[in-house]
Amino acid sequence: MASVTIKHVTKAFGDNVVLKEFDQVFNDGEFITLLGPSGCGKTTMLRMIAGFEKPTSGEIMIGDKVVSGGKTFLPPEKRDIGMVFQSYAVWPHMTVFENVAYPLKIKHVKKDEIKAEVNRVLEIVHLSQYAQRIPSQLSGGQQQRVALARALVARPQLLLLDEPLSNLDAKLRESMRFEIKEIQNRLGITVVYVTHDQTEAMAMSDRIILINRGEIQQVGTPAEIYNNPANQFVADFLGKVDFLKGEVANGRISIAGTDQSIPYTGDKTGNVELAIRPERITLSLDGGDLAGVLESQYYLGDINDCRVKVGEKSVRVIAAPETYSRMKPGDTVYLTFREQIIFDDDGDIDEKLKIMT
Amino acid sequence: MMQTANIQRDLDPVKKQTAGTKILLAVLFLLGAVLVLAGILGMNKFTASGFDNESAYAAIYHLGGEIEKDWDVQLRPGLETLDEKDRAFLEERALALLTEAWVKQRPEAAGELDEILSGAGEERGDKVFKLLYATYSLNGPSVKTSAKKGIYAIPAAEREAFRRELLLCAADAERPLPEAAVTPVGNAEGDERVAMLLQLYFISYDDNGDCLDTEYVNVLKKAVRNKSVLITTFPMIANGDVNWAQQLVIGNGRTVILAGILLMFDVMLLFFLMLSEKNWIFDGKWIVILLIVDFLLVFQVLPLFYLVIKAFLPEGSFSFQTLERLFSYSLNVEALKNTMIAATATMLLGTLLAFPLAWLVGRTNLYGKKFFRSLFVLTYMVPPYVGAMAWLRLLNPNVGTINQWLRTIFALADEPGPMNVYSIGGLIWVLTTFYYPYAFITISRAMEKMDPSLEEASRISGASPVKTLFRITLPMMLPSLISGALLVFICAASCYGIPSIIGSPGKVHTVTTRIVEYVSLGSQGINDATGLAVFLMVVAIIILLVSDFVLAKKQYITVSGKSVRPAIVDLRKWRIPITILVSLFAVIVIVIPFATILLTSFKVDVGKSVLTAGNFTVNSWKEIFGRIETMSCLKNSLIFGAVTATVGIIVACVMSYLLQRTRVKGRKIPDFLIALGSGSPSVVIALGLIMTMKGDFGINIYNTAYIMIVAYLIKYMMMGMRTVVSAMSQIHVSLEECSQISGASWFRTMFRITGPLIFPSIAAGWFLIFIPSFYELSMTTLLYSSTTKTIGFQLYEYWTFTSQPQSCAMAFGILLIVVLLNFILNRLTKGEFSI
Repeated sequence: MASVTIKHVTKAFGDNVVLKEFDQVFNDGEFITLLGPSGCGKTTMLRMIAGFEKPTSGEIMIGDKVVSGGKTFLPPEKRDIGMVFQSYAVWPHMTVFENVAYPLKIKHVKKDEIKAEVNRVLEIVHLSQYAQRIPSQLSGGQQQRVALARALVARPQLLLLDEPLSNLDAKLRESMRFEIKEIQNRLGITVVYVTHDQTEAMAMSDRIILINRGEIQQVGTPAEIYNNPANQFVADFLGKVDFLKGEVANGRISIAGTDQSIPYTGDKTGNVELAIRPERITLSLDGGDLAGVLESQYYLGDINDCRVKVGEKSVRVIAAPETYSRMKPGDTVYLTFREQIIFDDDGDIDEKLKIMT
Repeated sequence: MMQTANIQRDLDPVKKQTAGTKILLAVLFLLGAVLVLAGILGMNKFTASGFDNESAYAAIYHLGGEIEKDWDVQLRPGLETLDEKDRAFLEERALALLTEAWVKQRPEAAGELDEILSGAGEERGDKVFKLLYATYSLNGPSVKTSAKKGIYAIPAAEREAFRRELLLCAADAERPLPEAAVTPVGNAEGDERVAMLLQLYFISYDDNGDCLDTEYVNVLKKAVRNKSVLITTFPMIANGDVNWAQQLVIGNGRTVILAGILLMFDVMLLFFLMLSEKNWIFDGKWIVILLIVDFLLVFQVLPLFYLVIKAFLPEGSFSFQTLERLFSYSLNVEALKNTMIAATATMLLGTLLAFPLAWLVGRTNLYGKKFFRSLFVLTYMVPPYVGAMAWLRLLNPNVGTINQWLRTIFALADEPGPMNVYSIGGLIWVLTTFYYPYAFITISRAMEKMDPSLEEASRISGASPVKTLFRITLPMMLPSLISGALLVFICAASCYGIPSIIGSPGKVHTVTTRIVEYVSLGSQGINDATGLAVFLMVVAIIILLVSDFVLAKKQYITVSGKSVRPAIVDLRKWRIPITILVSLFAVIVIVIPFATILLTSFKVDVGKSVLTAGNFTVNSWKEIFGRIETMSCLKNSLIFGAVTATVGIIVACVMSYLLQRTRVKGRKIPDFLIALGSGSPSVVIALGLIMTMKGDFGINIYNTAYIMIVAYLIKYMMMGMRTVVSAMSQIHVSLEECSQISGASWFRTMFRITGPLIFPSIAAGWFLIFIPSFYELSMTTLLYSSTTKTIGFQLYEYWTFTSQPQSCAMAFGILLIVVLLNFILNRLTKGEFSI
């Protein structure tokens, strides 16, 4: 197993810089997720680790071996990496067994050894009985597992996964998520996982690296990133959030567009932006920090999904289901923020939230 | 859903409709039967009223005056060169033959003959010859166009003597034939021999001293046939026996039968379609399908079917006689052998070139990949015979430029060689340089479609680029590789342009050149040609089926990932050497040949360098632009191409709609027929049309522009259709549904949504039909007449008989037009398409 060290890697296609100054260390045995909207540069980073792209500048090390940097450039086949592609890339002209055996055959492993190894990984991915099938006879989920087995068979020091679940249906995706995580736990392999699906990232990762427009926005465990987003983009990309503008004065934040204010104990001053997650608001009919007008409500069984107008802004609130029958649109309701994240208002929130594709 | 509901609610009206439809079908079927019957009766009545040979003689009799007027110029000079004795003998002999021919048919003809000849005085001899010629032209064998090659070759000074010999030979069966007449006359004896000689005589000159076309014979035949229709039906009308409608049926019996048969067939087809649909509501789309099917039945299925019948049932019963006779000639066996060798070698060589090129261009960091790609694809649009001409100039054993260089460089003795293009090797070389793009295009397309992560997965598994190429890319490409290779094989095997230019001086015969030679020999020759044509067709169909099978069975469908940027293989230290190698290849197969064509067009003496003093001239260019004939050929080509492309693209659009947007039963039938037509070798299509479109089957478009357009359509319609179909399949039907849900009518949707979306493909499809039709040669050689010559054929004629520089100027002109069209297409489709 190995760590991955990425030093000041920048990648540009012509004048188009897709990745700026990427500088990170992935620890041995860690499950790292590169998360971000499509076009953010996460796949490019992965492909540079794999050796399919050459960094414009910077250095990449796997373990303590420089694979890319300066004049060194190790082609993919010399990097000892396993990789699962978004399209599975299972070779249609080979059986499942042949697909999985391929990396070993290339290495000229003995025949009986190949057999044992292939059976071992097919066991891990629960495909033993499909060894002689050809890929077109398999379902998407099964093909996915063939790709995973092939990536694991040569006991690579590093496993790269490029949106491996995006072509699967919702149910299968969820079960594969845990299967992959379980395999990683069992083998203790370092995994770099690329996805644009925040739930996937939250569920699987030891650490998430959130990227937007070629720049790292924040690095941390799922809880850290969710609870302490570094900026508005991070708050917005992970989970649901509404932003309210306000101004700090005398230990209170007056909410823009209203004559109300809420208590504040933090150290920010001047113009601020409140990021409020809908599930962290208490809604009540008879009093709270902030009054607003109920715009709409949707009864979803376990929750009551409401929109409340505060000043000019509409705020989403997840309320208890029993509130549904007690109010109607147009009623005045009161909100209390159990927790809020406050950013300085630089006036560039739209710019920050923008996703480049 | 809604329809089912309706049907259940109003059960009775549906029943009524079902009954109504069935009755209508029955009535139409009966109408067809009536037409067939009427046609047969009409034909009988026509025959009974004196058509056939007898009325043909009457027609000639009535034509007598006209014959005299038109043909003086041809006959006089020849007869005048004879001395008195020969002349008298000849006239006597001709009169005897004529009388014999006429009286054999009907005893009273002797009197008519006297009547025609009486009072002719000094011109009596001329008239006898003309009548004899007309008689034989109608009933005897005819000399086909290409047999005239020998006559063209006779120097003007010797033509007088040659013509006199022809007349003398006609009079004396024992007299040995002049050399140029040996091939056309062949083994004909007796009357046939005389007929052949007289035809040669008449076509060996026209007013300008140029050769006349055999079309003269055909015009005459038509005139006689029309006259005889008049002769037979006029009296009947005058007597009140028949009205105009009956006259129409009597005069066009065969056409009426054909229409009847088609109607019956259509009704039957419709019946089965409705039966299998279990739905007796008439769908208007069926009319469209039936129209297309009818067209293809008459102009494609019938001719091809007839060829098979002719080959296996020469005397009306099944026998291998034709085939046995055919293959007892060593020349044919050799042609067969050559064709198979050349096609196989071209296939192997072409694929061996195409695959690495496709890989280098598609998957590596070769310098100038895009440029090379368009360069290789461009060759696809160049007429193959142009390549043959260029290589002839380069590799001619005596004066070929490359041979001259080689002799100078290696200080070889000044004798022919070292390379000789007039050989099977030369043939294979030229075929390869012109057909490898077919494999290149097929393979690169498949390579573009292949998910690059399949290769990346191999790399990450530890395989080097080379290993990946052989263990993943190549096996994955195998189906396309095979179908590309088979395409090259069939193109090479059915090519006429290249072997006719390379092969004929070197006596390297191929099946296609033999077919054209046979056709030129007249009726027996045509029968023999069918055997070879059927052979070629069977090979083509087998290959078509194998190719379809391979593709259908082994087409690997891969979920395409988002990784559109394939992993580019770094050639590293090989990058420059390989780029140089590819450039060298491009220079050899593209730059040098085209440059040769251009340079030759400026030469006076083609054997010398254009830089030699006094060898540079722009006369060839002046000539071709100044000659009315060439310009009218160009006009013909442009018109035929445009008409073919326009009709073809309309059919293509209709078919695409039926295939992609409807589930109407039977839509696959025309699709299959169109594919079959485009897969048939050109020469075979043309031969089939010649044999069936002379009126024997109710349609006479022989020697007209229609027969050429029909042939082009059958061969090239598919190209346009494939383009439009694939474009339509890429437009999701929801785009159209969305327009209709927004309130737009079907027509509005087609014009505002679907039309604009597929317009680039329609334009591309139009050009894809237009360009090959524009410079077509193989079919044109067999189908042209003096008024329907095309630029391709004109070029071929000039190459073979007149002036190579002028021919090269035309070839370069064609190239310029093709490149220009490509440019227009690129602009028109905003860069989305170019060929």
